[in-house]
Amino acid sequence: MPNAYVQTVDEVSEYSQLSAWRSAGGIDRLYVGYGATVAAIVVLSYILGALKWLPHDPEAMDLGAMMAGPFTGSYLLGTDFLGRDLATRLILGIQAYFLPGLAAIAIALVLGSGLGVAAGYRGGRADAAVTYLAGLIDALPRLVLMLLVIAAFKPQIYTIMIVFGITTAPAIATMVRGKVLMLKSRNFIESAVALGLSPRTIILKHILWYNCRALLLIQATIGMAEAVLLETSLSYLGFGVQEPTPSWGNMIQAGANYLLQGNFWSSTAPALAILATVLGFHLLGDGLNNIFEGKRQR
Amino acid sequence: MTAALLAGVTFVAFLILFLAPGDPFAALLGGRTLAGPEREAAYDALGIPRTWYGQYLAWMGNVLHGDFGVSLRTGQPVARELVASGARTLFLTLGSLLVTLAVAIPIGAYAAVRPASRRAWALTMSAYVVSALPTFWLGYLAIYVFTRQLGLFPILSGTGGPQEHAWLYAALPVVLLGLGSGALSEVVRYVREEVARVMAEEYVRTARAKGAALWRHVYKEGLLLPVAEIVASKMPFVLSGAIIVEQVFNWPGLGRLAWQAAQDRDYPVIMAITLAAAVVVRLGSFLHRAVYVAVNPRASHE
Amino acid sequence: MSAPPLLGIEDLRTYFYSRVKQAFIRSVDGVDLEVARGETLGIVGESGSGKSVAMLSVMGLVSAAPGVITGRVIFRDERPTELLAGLDRLVTVERRGDRIVSVVKDDRAWQAQAERNLDGVRGGKIAMIFQNPRAALNPFETVGQQIAEAVRLHTGAKHPARAKERALHWLEQVRIDSPRLRYDNHPYGLSGGMCQRAMIAMALAAEPRMLIADEPTTGLDATIQARIVELLADLKARLGMTMVLISHDIGVVGRLADRVAVMYGGRVMESGPAAEVLGGQGDGHPYTGALLASMPREENLQAKGRLPAIEGEVLDTINTPRGCRFRARCQRIHDGVRARCAEAEPPLAEVAPGRRVRCWLHQP
Repeated sequence: MPNAYVQTVDEVSEYSQLSAWRSAGGIDRLYVGYGATVAAIVVLSYILGALKWLPHDPEAMDLGAMMAGPFTGSYLLGTDFLGRDLATRLILGIQAYFLPGLAAIAIALVLGSGLGVAAGYRGGRADAAVTYLAGLIDALPRLVLMLLVIAAFKPQIYTIMIVFGITTAPAIATMVRGKVLMLKSRNFIESAVALGLSPRTIILKHILWYNCRALLLIQATIGMAEAVLLETSLSYLGFGVQEPTPSWGNMIQAGANYLLQGNFWSSTAPALAILATVLGFHLLGDGLNNIFEGKRQR
Repeated sequence: MTAALLAGVTFVAFLILFLAPGDPFAALLGGRTLAGPEREAAYDALGIPRTWYGQYLAWMGNVLHGDFGVSLRTGQPVARELVASGARTLFLTLGSLLVTLAVAIPIGAYAAVRPASRRAWALTMSAYVVSALPTFWLGYLAIYVFTRQLGLFPILSGTGGPQEHAWLYAALPVVLLGLGSGALSEVVRYVREEVARVMAEEYVRTARAKGAALWRHVYKEGLLLPVAEIVASKMPFVLSGAIIVEQVFNWPGLGRLAWQAAQDRDYPVIMAITLAAAVVVRLGSFLHRAVYVAVNPRASHE
Repeated sequence: MSAPPLLGIEDLRTYFYSRVKQAFIRSVDGVDLEVARGETLGIVGESGSGKSVAMLSVMGLVSAAPGVITGRVIFRDERPTELLAGLDRLVTVERRGDRIVSVVKDDRAWQAQAERNLDGVRGGKIAMIFQNPRAALNPFETVGQQIAEAVRLHTGAKHPARAKERALHWLEQVRIDSPRLRYDNHPYGLSGGMCQRAMIAMALAAEPRMLIADEPTTGLDATIQARIVELLADLKARLGMTMVLISHDIGVVGRLADRVAVMYGGRVMESGPAAEVLGGQGDGHPYTGALLASMPREENLQAKGRLPAIEGEVLDTINTPRGCRFRARCQRIHDGVRARCAEAEPPLAEVAPGRRVRCWLHQP
């Protein structure tokens, strides 16, 4: 033995608790994997829809094959009550929420970060104003506000999403403000200023990019999930996207009567699509959150 | 603070309506489109202030007297319908909150105490899935299963209220809103986090060392406070969900009223509902504060 | 020692499993201790030496992290009870030489069995107090309520009025000012010193056979520390308490302990009568000597101007080196023993009656 300090390491090739789930780290990887897959499918479908590379014409009605189940003929996912291909309509349904959702998220993140930084960095009146605004938004249920907006303006999806973005901004602002205050309390900002860094650099690079990016990314995933639910709820209610343009919401609404008669599929397919997508984005956010915070590494 | 918030809410709402295209008072003018001085003369005749902030202040003044104006659709005073529908929606909301708590708290607590167990994961994941499903679809499914197939739980049709067994009609909507409002998964997550945090507190270790019953020491911070926080913060979610559920189940509440008002651009009604919603949410906040002060010995000194 | 010890710990090992490092952290690595009736055993050592974890393991208060606790802990009350009984059956450890190759543990059953073993012992027979008394008391209840709870749980005084009476009695015993007033105070309204007195009252109110005090003075102001130490000395004299006192403060241990054990790297390095171990005669373990020399005590300060620090870092308890654990930091190592120190770990051998040292310097 050349080295007197021979290390004795306990290797454990297998440690299992009989009543335990697998190593938690794996779970988070699973979540992120699933979520990322969902996101990729959404983006892909969006592109397909935008380019109109669809299996069928979304409005073509095949009266001979109404309410068909999956794998009937050339209809991969079956047809709805008018014989229109479900797969095509599901793909197109993504158009209804994808870009508007992204717009909403962008607004929320930019506005939220801006307000949050202003509140935390400056303090004083900016802080009080942001807190008041956040309280204001919190006091109103989102859908009620949406109905208000719809009553005022036409039920246009972009308007709705812009309002959605604006109403999400205060929550993000509060979180960013919290981060800024935390950095302040650790004299981080003071030192940066003392080093002669310009406020722009401090805010953009150090505060937002280094310290807030995980938070903002996760809020983006949550935001997308919310956007899906919001858009589908509104089109279910009859606002938002109108027939014959497909939206997962109005597809379910149209199929509702048939569901009550026992014909499940035409409304269940979009419901499952919503489930898979919303769950995907939520789990993506959850998984990323756990990974970034280094939890579950017991 | 509350007054400032409520005022702010109504102000923003009014502003939005004011910014809208079209003439909000078209209905009052009998459908005629007037312009310029003719319109102003008509406004004066009806007693409508010229400026937008004048209109806002007039509305506020009326509200503080209990007058919410008259529905543009039905011509009935808004206040009466508001109270009736509001009560029904409140019933739905509170009932569903109970359901949410009754389901989510055991799951969250179980997941906190046995974090690595398969059962905990399955339960938590089920909560997530139910929350991710669109509430309206779930509603129809529930109607199909319970009403059509099994014959339990009747639902309302038309506009007449139920005569007897009123609670049966409520059962399905309440449970569905409780499960599907999206709050379920958040509450599970939150409860799990809080219970786990409290279990790791030093005073809980002392309680163990003392041989005392754990829950007696954990429940205040692990249960009461989180529940109060949940009720306060999830109220907006639940109210939003109520709009959907009332649509599915034909429940004559504020949500249905709001939907109708949005379709008809019935401004007085929608303003009133906005205010009502904001008030309910503030009530939730008050409840939270009250519980916090009651439980936390330090709070009354802060 | 004619009577068998009240508490006997044999080869106690507490290993925590770290998923991140894929290895066991050997917090307590084979500890033998005895506490006789009526005596105070002091356990000293640096942070990380395993002294707290050892006592927490005895009480079953080790956190729920995956890990194993092996060994024997015998509590001789009316009947001897083994506090770790039945746990070995639930763990299968496969060793290859000194290495652990695999561990299979039925966690649920393990927790259940541990709870069964300790039921009635925790709080009632063995009470424990902790550092940070403010955080260790329930912030939502009054101090009096918490003490009364201990009384109701473990003594015959179940009636609320009687329990309150006993609680007040104990508050007086710990010499807290205005006991009646303090009874209705919440912890946030009390100073650190008063909270510690309250916690001591709470522990003693259960009328246990033994008290374990885990760093009771750490975190308190220096003057308050002294008062708490005096209180403990007073209680010890009046009540004849059996106590285990854990502290990294040698002064505190020196004042209260009859016997002392010095721990390092999860093992006992030296044990014996307090006067001898802490006497600084140089006939003990080098680590003890270094600890004593690094303290701000008269002898140390007058000689030089600087306090000698103990060189080196705290032992890495995952990759424990071969040979003596203290080797890297030992100042008294010399060529005559160097080879032996590197080769094998010295056993805890008796160098004088009641005095044991784990060092090759004292063994043939």
